[in-house]
Parts: sequence; structure tokens; C-alpha cells
Amino acid sequence: MSPTTVLYVAQALHGLAYGMLLFLIASGLTLIFGMMGILNIAHASFAMLAAYFCFTALKLTGNFWAALVIAPVIAGFVGVLTERFLLRPVHKHGHLAELLITVGIMTLILELVKYFWGTESLVVKIPQSLSGLVKVAGLTYPVYRLFVIGISVLILGFMALILFKTRLGKIVQAAVSDTEMVSALGINTPMVFMLVFGIGIWLAGVAGAVAGPLLTVFPGMADQLGMDAFVVVVVGGFGSLLGAFIVALFLGELNAYGIQFIPRLAPVLMFAFMALVLAFKPMGLFGERE
Amino acid sequence: MRTKLLTWILWGLVIILLFFLPKLVNLYYLSLFLGFVIYSLYAVTLNLLLGYMGVLSFGHAMFFGTGAYTVALLLKHIQGIPLLPTILLGGLAAGLLAVILSPLLVRVSGTAFAMLTLAFSQLIFVAALKFREVTGGEDGIGLASLPPLKLLGLFSVDMNDKINFYYFAIIFVALCLFLLWFYTKTPFGSLIVGVRDNALRMDYLGFNLSHIRAINLIVSGTFAGLAGATHGMLMKLVSTVGVLDIGTCFKPLMMAYIGGVGSFFGPILGSGILHILEDVVIRFTDRIGLVNGTIFVLVVLFAPQGLIGLFNTVKAKWFQKEKVS
Repeated sequence: MSPTTVLYVAQALHGLAYGMLLFLIASGLTLIFGMMGILNIAHASFAMLAAYFCFTALKLTGNFWAALVIAPVIAGFVGVLTERFLLRPVHKHGHLAELLITVGIMTLILELVKYFWGTESLVVKIPQSLSGLVKVAGLTYPVYRLFVIGISVLILGFMALILFKTRLGKIVQAAVSDTEMVSALGINTPMVFMLVFGIGIWLAGVAGAVAGPLLTVFPGMADQLGMDAFVVVVVGGFGSLLGAFIVALFLGELNAYGIQFIPRLAPVLMFAFMALVLAFKPMGLFGERE
Repeated sequence: MRTKLLTWILWGLVIILLFFLPKLVNLYYLSLFLGFVIYSLYAVTLNLLLGYMGVLSFGHAMFFGTGAYTVALLLKHIQGIPLLPTILLGGLAAGLLAVILSPLLVRVSGTAFAMLTLAFSQLIFVAALKFREVTGGEDGIGLASLPPLKLLGLFSVDMNDKINFYYFAIIFVALCLFLLWFYTKTPFGSLIVGVRDNALRMDYLGFNLSHIRAINLIVSGTFAGLAGATHGMLMKLVSTVGVLDIGTCFKPLMMAYIGGVGSFFGPILGSGILHILEDVVIRFTDRIGLVNGTIFVLVVLFAPQGLIGLFNTVKAKWFQKEKVS
């Protein structure tokens, strides 16, 4: 391949890696929104929390793989507790109160992270087996980014299987379209909510833990990931998984090529794209419900 | 009659206190107090949307920041521009932004409204951060000196004097607050509450809902811009992190909610509480965010009507008990 093609392919892969990470976060966000009507502002904060957990777990165990498994699970558990003790009590006060409490949770997570881990960037070391470079047809590419793409595809495939092929998935899908009806059929919807919230946080946690070595772990991580994931969900359409998937990949590529060619305008471009979509479709590209 | 007299005496005391405040406290507290007053106005404009119209503006900082940046840019580029037009243009620019966004924003409500406002405020925030030649990026624009206030060409007051500026800002913000209070008491103010409580019925009664929503949005945006303009002049520095970032979006939200969104004066109370807290907490720990966040979460959990709502509930309970026994 010629050097120019190599550059384009490398940027495309960068974009793919970031897009997959975004979709890991945004899928949980959009599922939670579809089911519970809550736009969880604190979603990316949980991803950041998982990244910090991953850092500490790596320090304690010395094993990257163990840390990668443990951190998202703990974050998911924290998410379940949050749903049970903070979100559920305010459910009766309506969606605005639920939205506001997630703002409070975001602030608290940010402050707690600063309290326990400080404000500096922490570097998560990746193991030898993932830190090398691969060479394919003249293209040199870091293994870790390929690993990120691989693990995202693996987890998303697994989640898609659960969502579309199991009874639990059917219940979740049904609850997204009509919560009251599902609960009238005798299904414990609060329990399902808690579970989906936990899984959504777990997905975000995986993204956060995996993103740690790429972005370094710092208190501004939630803002960066959160804003991008937020754009994905808003543009893709509230509650639409397909929309989130397409837009996440598109934004990943936009980001990668934007940084390559117009570094200053790349973030502006992202929000301008969102404004353009919203001007014509206020509910997002694939969204139907308010 | 007696309570009315009492109210007037109370207001008189407040005015006397405000007049003598510069004699009583040092410049640091004077500046803190002005911060409280300006943020009160800002939080009240947010409450016009949140409390009166029932929609949450998640990106209110875009109006606040537009006002502040307009003032900074005008003062930087136009030599000898008078003070009052500068501030008013700040409000006008924010109002213009609200006009531009209103066709889009009146179409949605609930979560979608919150998300759209957040989205546009982020667009403006990122744009201000990136177009460094105009906005100064993260460093922002410093205001070296403020033009003097000239009234009717009769006399001119030096606004670089902190105490003179204090009097100007207090009178200006008080005027804005009074106008907004009056605005909520007009028949149009009732229409807004009507749209919140029963939009369908208002529609059947023949009112144009979109117009009502748009006008309220523009009023709210304009006054938020005026608050931002005054804030920029107080701080003498307008930077993205101070007036446009997500923290500036959330702050008035916390104030309005802690004070109570159901009342006009709730956000002012909330602003007072948060400013006092900031001053007190900073002596013990610098984790002000942790304290604020905890209080906010507790209020949302246990007192969704804010402290004024809580006060009213408690009062009603005690009052009833007295009656029974």
C-alpha cells in the first residue's frame, strides 16, 4: 500500500476503535433511556469510575486481565445500588427529578474520584502481549487498538444475542416499547429496570476500563466520553440502538479524520453535525418517541 | 393590613442594608455578595423555564455566556462605548440567540428539551474554545477597564471604583428582578403556568402555545444574558470555563432546585445558600463540589419542592396541629 492509503486506513481503524467504545457507552445509555425514560447524565461518570477501578485493581493484583474483568463488574454493582437507592425513590417525582438526580450523581462521582485518586492523569500499563505493533501489508498498527475493536465486537455480539434470542431480552424489548403493559403481565419491572441499569453501567464500565490505557485515566474523562456518547444518543435518536450504532461509528470516523485534517474544528464539527440533524429531526435520526 | 405594613418595613430594611453594605464589609465580601445577586438573577431566569413553564434548560449557560462575551468583545473592540448600551446589547445578543433557537425548542418538551439545550450550549462552548482569535480560547478576554456610567449627559460615575460598581450592579439587577417578578404576575405570566399545567386545554382555549413558549424562552434568555453581562463586568474576565462550561449550566439549576422551583424567590434563596456555603466550606476543606453535590442529591431525594416547599409543608403541618388541639 502507498503511504497515503496506509494513513487513511490507520485513521479509519482509529475511528473504528473510538466508535466502538462510544457505542459500548451509548448502547447502555440508550437502553436505559428507552426503558426507564431517564437520560443518565452520570453514565460516562460510571465509565470513568470503572477506569479508576481498573487502575487500582491492576496495582493490587498486577494482572491486567483480572483488572479488566473486575473493574466493570464493581462499577455495575455500584450502578445497581445507585438505581435502587437514589433513582427509584425519585421515580414518583417525575422525569425531571430523575434527570436532576443523575446530575447530582455525576458531581458526586467526579468529586469522589478527585478525593480518592487525585487530579493528575494516571497511566494504565498494558501487558506485553498487547503492547506491540502488528504489520499487515505495509501498515503498522498498535495491537491494543485492535484488541479494543475485538473486545467491543465480542461483547456487543454477546449482548445482541441476549437481547434478541433470550426470554430476558424479549422482556427488555417489550419494556422499552410499553412498560405498563409488561408490568401488567406480571413481570417485576422494577427488578428488570435494576438489572438493565446494572448491565448498562457494566457496558459503560467495560468501555471505560478498556479506554483507560488509550486516553489515560483523569477526572475529565467523563466529560470527554460523556459528551461524545451524549451526541451519539441524541443524534441517533432517543432509545434507538440501531441509530446509536450507526452514529457512534460515524462520529468515531469523523473524529479520527477530523483530527487528522482539521484538528481545530473536529469537536465543533461534531456538535455542528448534531445541530444540523436536530434542526430537521428533533427526535434524532432513528428516534420516534418523545 | 398589618402584614402588608410589615412587608414594606422589611423591604425598607433590606434597601437600607444594601445601601450601607459597602461601609459594613470589606471588598471581598462585597464581591461575593454581588456574585450572589447576579447568580440570583441568572437562577431566576432559569426558573422562568423550569418552574413556570415546566421545561428544564440544561444549557442555560449559553445565554449567560453570550451576554458576557458580547460585553467583553464590545469593550475590547469599540473604543469609548458607553456602559449601559454595552450591558443592554449583551442581553440583546442572548435574546437573539433565544430567538434563533426558539423555532426548534418550542417543538419539544421534557427530556428532549433538556437535551437540545445542553446540545446547543455545548456547541457554543466548543466553538468559543476553538475560535481563539475571537474569544481568546481558554484564557478568555480580560476587561482592562470599564467605561464610566453617564446618565443623561449630566454626570459621569467611574465604574472602575468597586463601590460605585456595586451600587450600579445592585440597582441594575434589582430592576431586572423586579421586571421579571412583574412579568410573572401579568396575565401573560398566568398563560405560561397554564401551558405547564394543561397544555391541551390552553390549546383548546385558542392560545398559540408555540408563541407563548417562544416569548417566555426569549425573555428568559435575554435576562440570563443581562446577568452574564453584569457578571463579566464584575469579574473583569470572560473565559469559557467561567461563563459557558457545563458547571455554569448546572449551578443555577442547583440553586433553583435547592431554593425551590415552585416560587419566584426560591432560586434567590438557593443562590444565597450556595454562596454562603461556598464561603464557609472553603475554610474547612476545598471540596466544595462534594458538599454542594450531596446537598443537591438530598434535596432532590427528600424535598423535591426545595427548601421553600419544605418550609411551607412544615408550616402547614404545624398550623394544622394547632388548629386541631
